Amino acid sequence: MASDVNFPRYVDGREIANSGKLDGQGLKALIEAGMTWLKANQQLVNSLNVFPVPDGDTGTNMVLTMQAAYNEVLHSGENNVGKVAHAVAQGALMGARGNSGVILSQLLRGFSRTLDNIELLDGELLITALNESKNTAYKGVVRPVEGTILTVAKDIAAAADDLKGKPLSLDWLESLVAAADLSVQKTPELLSILKQAGVVDSGGKGLFFILEGMLRFLKGMPIESAAAAIQPLAEMHLEEALSEIEPGQDYEVVIDFRPETALDLEKFYTDLSEMGTSIQLGEGDGMYRMHIHVPTENRYKPIDYTMGLGTITKVAMENLIAQMETMEGDKASRYALHQVEPGEIAVIAVSPGVGLSRIFASLGVAAIVDGGQTMNPSTEEILKAFENLPTDRVIILPNNKNIVLAAENAAQLTVKKVKVIHSKNIPQGLNALLRHNPEGDLDQIAEEMEESLSEVEAGEITTATRSVQINGVKVAQGQVIALLNGNLVKAAEKIDDACLGLLEVAGTQDRERITLFYGENITKNEVNQLVDKIRAKYPRHEIELHDGEQPHYQLIISIE
Amino acid sequence: MKDTNPLGNIFISHRAIATIAHQAALESYGVVGLAPKNLAEGIAFALVKEPMKGVEVELHPDGITIDLYVVVEYGTRITMVASSVADTVRYQVEKTIGLPVKSVNVHVRGLRISDTD
Repeated sequence: MASDVNFPRYVDGREIANSGKLDGQGLKALIEAGMTWLKANQQLVNSLNVFPVPDGDTGTNMVLTMQAAYNEVLHSGENNVGKVAHAVAQGALMGARGNSGVILSQLLRGFSRTLDNIELLDGELLITALNESKNTAYKGVVRPVEGTILTVAKDIAAAADDLKGKPLSLDWLESLVAAADLSVQKTPELLSILKQAGVVDSGGKGLFFILEGMLRFLKGMPIESAAAAIQPLAEMHLEEALSEIEPGQDYEVVIDFRPETALDLEKFYTDLSEMGTSIQLGEGDGMYRMHIHVPTENRYKPIDYTMGLGTITKVAMENLIAQMETMEGDKASRYALHQVEPGEIAVIAVSPGVGLSRIFASLGVAAIVDGGQTMNPSTEEILKAFENLPTDRVIILPNNKNIVLAAENAAQLTVKKVKVIHSKNIPQGLNALLRHNPEGDLDQIAEEMEESLSEVEAGEITTATRSVQINGVKVAQGQVIALLNGNLVKAAEKIDDACLGLLEVAGTQDRERITLFYGENITKNEVNQLVDKIRAKYPRHEIELHDGEQPHYQLIISIE
Repeated sequence: MKDTNPLGNIFISHRAIATIAHQAALESYGVVGLAPKNLAEGIAFALVKEPMKGVEVELHPDGITIDLYVVVEYGTRITMVASSVADTVRYQVEKTIGLPVKSVNVHVRGLRISDTD
């Protein structure tokens, strides 16, 4: 294939020459760019949830779908644009995750259909393809809801129509991205639930990022990390970056420095991204702290580079592989799981925090799967947890409504006899576990556990991630909110007020026992003060306190 | 289904619940129609508008069970479409009626082929 039809075409690595046509490798590069930029903004898309608890996963679902799509062409040297598009659509279909993933796969499917047997994509065809893409997506639903990713796809197609007659160039993508951006901004006007929650549609925003990633790539702007941004020093979460270690990135380097001149952020990120991954930059009082993961041979490069920018005040370097091993060792040794005897019924529990895992373990759980509200474990992770146990009778406690489905899928993928209990929260899971008898009859125990779920009221206290009004309760971002069995019941400035309000709504007066599991983001002192207040109000109740160590939720409360 | 308030009783019929489930199903992505439950073999099915036909509602003391008989768009990932229609229907019914939904069973009765690839 002659290289002069390659679009994007590189001169000096980055510069683009517009040839007016796009071949298979060009499309592949664009898909990769879209995926990479979406991934960089995954958390932002996830945060556009309409309910004020952290539970969004649209971004994650779209990224996984794009990844499945891209994997189909990863090693392909195909130059035929139609064939690449087909492979991408096929990959997206097979790997579609969640509602947004399904719609994305339909968009790609429609797009690829137009390109059947086409070698090079030109402007005329792109218009047809984008329209077909939109039409196919709309056909997938009887009553399309406007103000969603569908509307954004429609507006993109309409913007393409306006470009009719012009040769395909970078300007096209500029116009399409601008149209997508505008369309996303308008989604709250079309869909009232978005307006109530004060957000734009997450799926539409995801689609926008895919297109914007393509544009950024063509313009030579960085797409690896979300907006070359500086965060306040106090908000850098370096421990979190640890869990994102990629193979080959063996060293973590953290450097504190004072630049001599103002920092050119884009250049800084671009230069660093050639050395390693997980780049973060924090700033406080003119002092900068940078963080990066690099392969062994590059471990001194960031230091040399930063030295050229200004004065280095501190350098910390750690061997990540060794560190990971220690961390995982720690985790395992913190609680002892029940050793299953052959033939016994094993219980698997999903737990969001180490403290809760310890409690589950002490009650006889055979395996723990880490996961919760914002980190739903995959079917595979659940499957792995029990596949190797020496028994063929298993009970799963998902302990979150978003995990029930994954657990049920895992149950279908094994030859073992598996029962999934529909525990939607931790209190239900713990209560059900009390019915466990390793030597009993699986069906009977599962039934008893299922029945036990309604015996307990589950309360959760967390911080609202955005302002919203739901169920007549008005919440401002940053307020403490109380959820009873998953429903928002109270918003307050203080944890104490939210908690007491929750107990009142839950009809605690007629109950006997209150158990509190406190999370990572609340101090022991605060909890003790709260317990004193609860005791004063409910003097005859039994009150128990446990360290749950769960993220996001200051308190999980079980009322029996 | 019966509910009481200080002034008297509230009755919610199967049909009302079925209608809500029906509407929710049709707004759910990937579902292109509901099909009658008793599909006579060899007869091409007609998509139904009547809400009771593609939806079955049963009331139990511990919650409502809903069976949906759906037609899904060809070319979508069916397991995902099915799980999201189940979620949507459960959410809408619980939100509007205020009674717990025990289970939503989705039966994929057929695929509609709009376009072949």
